[in-house]
Amino acid sequence: MMKVIELRKSYGQGESRVEVLKGINLEISPGETVALIGKSGSGKSTLLSLLAGLDRPDSGEILVQGQKISSMSERELTNFRAHNMGIVFQQFHLVSTLTALENVLLPLELLKRSHSLETAKNLLESVGLSHRADHLPSEMSGGECQRVAIARALAIKPAILFADEPSGNLDEETGERVMELLFKMVVETKTTLVLVTHDPDLAKRCSRIIHLEHGTLL
Amino acid sequence: MFTDYSSGTRDSSVKFKFFFVKEMKKFPFFFLLLFFTLLLGTMGLVGISIITGQVQEKLQNNANELLTSDIAISARRDLFPLEQESLFKILNEYPHRHYKIIDIYSMISNLRTGTTRLAEIRATEKGFPFYGKMTLKNGEFESDQLYISKDLADLWQVQENDELQIGELVLKVSGVVEEDSSMGLRGFSLAPRIYLPLSKLLTTGLLKPGATGGFAYHFKLNDLTLEKVQRIKTSIYKVIKDSAVRITLPEDSSEQTGRVINTLTNFMALSALIGLILSLVGVFYLYQSHLLARLKDLCLLNLHGLTKREIIVGIIAQFSFIFFLVVVVELLFIIPLYKTLAPVLSTNLGIELSPEVNVASALTEIPFLFGLSLFILVPLLLGLMRTPMGLQLKASKLSMGRFRFWDFMPFIVSLWLFSCYLGHSFRNGSLFFISLLMVFLLSTLVVRGGQWILRKFIKNKGLLLPTIENGIALRSLSRSGHKLTLSFLSLAMGATLISLILQLDKMILKEFALDENKPSLFIFDIQEEQMEPLVSHAREQGAPLAYITPMIRARLEKVNDKKFVRKKRSYDFRSREDDEENRFRSNTLNLTYRDYLTGSEKIISGKPFPQGGAPDDRLPYVSLEKRWAQRMDLEIGDKLTFDIQGVEFEGQVHNIREVKWTTFYPNFFVTIEPSLIEAAPKTFLAVLPAGPKETKLTFQRSTVEKFPNISFIDVEELIGKLSGLFVRARQAIEVISWLSLAVGLVILYGLSHDQVYRRYYDLALMKSLGFSSTRLRLNLLYEFGVLFLSAMTLGLFLGWMIAQIVGREVFKLALSVDWDRLLYPAGLLTILCLVTIMASSWRAVRARPRELLSDS
Repeated sequence: MMKVIELRKSYGQGESRVEVLKGINLEISPGETVALIGKSGSGKSTLLSLLAGLDRPDSGEILVQGQKISSMSERELTNFRAHNMGIVFQQFHLVSTLTALENVLLPLELLKRSHSLETAKNLLESVGLSHRADHLPSEMSGGECQRVAIARALAIKPAILFADEPSGNLDEETGERVMELLFKMVVETKTTLVLVTHDPDLAKRCSRIIHLEHGTLL
Repeated sequence: MFTDYSSGTRDSSVKFKFFFVKEMKKFPFFFLLLFFTLLLGTMGLVGISIITGQVQEKLQNNANELLTSDIAISARRDLFPLEQESLFKILNEYPHRHYKIIDIYSMISNLRTGTTRLAEIRATEKGFPFYGKMTLKNGEFESDQLYISKDLADLWQVQENDELQIGELVLKVSGVVEEDSSMGLRGFSLAPRIYLPLSKLLTTGLLKPGATGGFAYHFKLNDLTLEKVQRIKTSIYKVIKDSAVRITLPEDSSEQTGRVINTLTNFMALSALIGLILSLVGVFYLYQSHLLARLKDLCLLNLHGLTKREIIVGIIAQFSFIFFLVVVVELLFIIPLYKTLAPVLSTNLGIELSPEVNVASALTEIPFLFGLSLFILVPLLLGLMRTPMGLQLKASKLSMGRFRFWDFMPFIVSLWLFSCYLGHSFRNGSLFFISLLMVFLLSTLVVRGGQWILRKFIKNKGLLLPTIENGIALRSLSRSGHKLTLSFLSLAMGATLISLILQLDKMILKEFALDENKPSLFIFDIQEEQMEPLVSHAREQGAPLAYITPMIRARLEKVNDKKFVRKKRSYDFRSREDDEENRFRSNTLNLTYRDYLTGSEKIISGKPFPQGGAPDDRLPYVSLEKRWAQRMDLEIGDKLTFDIQGVEFEGQVHNIREVKWTTFYPNFFVTIEPSLIEAAPKTFLAVLPAGPKETKLTFQRSTVEKFPNISFIDVEELIGKLSGLFVRARQAIEVISWLSLAVGLVILYGLSHDQVYRRYYDLALMKSLGFSSTRLRLNLLYEFGVLFLSAMTLGLFLGWMIAQIVGREVFKLALSVDWDRLLYPAGLLTILCLVTIMASSWRAVRARPRELLSDS
């Protein structure tokens, strides 16, 4: 499913250069749920950004479904991401001028999927927000926004779902409910999940926990 | 991006300095952009202020020369003995010298050549002129000699020592006056001038009882203050109550001379104000973006002990500092530039300007400019005051407190007052201001209406319209709130103002271009029996005459059978308009008869005259010029009785006409329907349209020989002089237009930059979902393109509309559609808009979705 070989990434220049990832090797199987945990600055979000193709490594290789995404062009990478990956962010990040339904519809219509409107409505219903379909993000609560974001991430039936602290911006109760929903949907759709979290209890719900410290795997 | 303020002392004043200095160092690009926006916006006004100050100063200096004395009391008749007694009783209280001037028109004959011509005779006494100079071809001007003007010498080939017969007197020409400093820009007199001693005029027999002409008493007062001279003027008005008597002070004379220049400088000042408003819109947006970007830091500063008030004082201090730098740079840059350009300006304006700049005049507008610039920030500063700073740090997304409509009131009111101040007229300033207000209201209406239509259109539709980029762009346009309205407004306003300047500029240029339709020569005193042979003669000379019109000298005697009484005047305060009104109100006038309108006339109320002349069963119809009718208090239906050489003639006002005087064609305050009036004693007037100079001279010389009684007035020089003045003004206006355009672009950049900045995370998100950079650019291009193009189209149209209104109401120009001036800025602005959108969105389109992650 996903193979990472000798992945390195550093930021800054000259003396201020910081090596964030120091030769990561990793393999994730289809349907696996993996939690990436570590202290702040350990490099977990950097690793997530490289795995999700949001950034490029300095060296090393990332293979997703047999395709080397680390050497893809910007256009190829964007296209690959659109077809195979879903991302849920800590800050929800919904398009502010689109309604809940339109936000879910966005990746589907981008790929010109058939019956996209019906699919989006079904997804919105499955996250319990069909009554909020015509609402703008500014008119919804944080929990509701994150549920829309989950529905949007799963809309294209991605091979792999990345989630970056999805409950980090929510209160405990809402966070729990959102995570419940996320895991439920991942299991139902048999989607591979890579979850970045601080929360050890949440990490335990994944099939595998990967500890990251100072840019290396423990 | 984030500045750490948590270290160091917690003392507020130190923190304030730290905040003030640090911010300026940390954001050089923002402050540089702010500096250039303000510099471009204020440069036009400061420059014009310097030129206006110089022109005013020069006019003031020239004022005495133009009047030739400190105070002049004049009328179209001589003062009655009692009036003279009252006048001297007042003036004798002050040490003074005086002389009398009489200006009359009479035929004079050159005994050497045997030609007879109409001339303006200016009879003067010893001492003339108290101020100014009479420059002779040879020798010095003596008030007891006869002199002729240069144009008389040129046209009639009159030479020194020629003997001229003036009435019953024969006098020898002592010299030729090359320059009379009292002429100024007054234009032309009805005939070439000769200068004669007053004592000699009295022996010519031309001054018969009841003769009309200009009678003036000029006084030179020793070292009197302006206030005292004003008091003398008021005292004289109190004892001489006939409104036909006019008292002129040097500044009145100066104002008249410089009226054209004043109108132009006022217009240029309003054009420059447009540039300023555009730049202030830019300042508003720059600050809005900047404050939003800095909000997190400001909240932290607040958390560390800096109060909101201190933060706002800090922002004002930053702004004041930048404004101060702008003023310094302007003075350093504009003053040397003015010194370099002063000789060119002097030549072009026809007034010798001093190359030395009075810094005070350059600084006159600065406090107003600073106030106005600061007032545009008030809504943002109040918004900052309303921001719950403590809560912001906990919120997922930072947002500033909203500003309200009333927050803009200080700016709106000061803009209105400033417009009136710059236009030197409450009416013109208010008209300008109301036009801007209309643009504001219409733009809001259009944007809200457009959003409503878009919402209806996209309802229940997918994102593909027909592309997803379009779909997202349209949704964004339909759902963005007041920010979109503001962007649209600013853009529409910018386009309106640019279009307004370009349209008005073109209209003025068109109006004052000396084309073949403009007259070159006025031909007067054509007797009825001379008409046919003169017309044939002109045709033979290759100079066909136009506009042949009868001219009848008349006096308005009665209105509705009651003796016509002129309005009483106020003695305490007389404005320039009062004086103008009195000049208008003279009841002796030239009128004509005809049943058609000329190209420069338009009926604004009432009906045109019926064809075929007046039947016997009703009074002949009379048509009045609008302003003359207003000032004489006449209206449609009034019965007017004229005295035409002792015979009464009655008519009824049938319509009111508007006359476009700037065509320079001879026009009349009163025209009468063809009727018995045709039998009245009259002469004819004709016009020679502009053509080759040689043809004109040949025609003039041959006509002088064949018809010695006919007079000419060469108006080509005057029209050329005025056209030249307008061409120079047009160039100045063009510079201001480009300045405004430059400011508009800075704003455009600021606006799109601001909008794109707000959408940064949306764009990064869309990228993470699979949008390529090209598709994101397309999306932005659609969204901002629709916004910019619709705002621009509306703005250009509104600019054209306002130009027509202002052109008509303020400059009395005709309605015109100039496609060049609409399409050229439209094309240019479209290209610049697209380039600006692309440039400002560059960073956002390259946004890395990685920044969406939690630890970025």
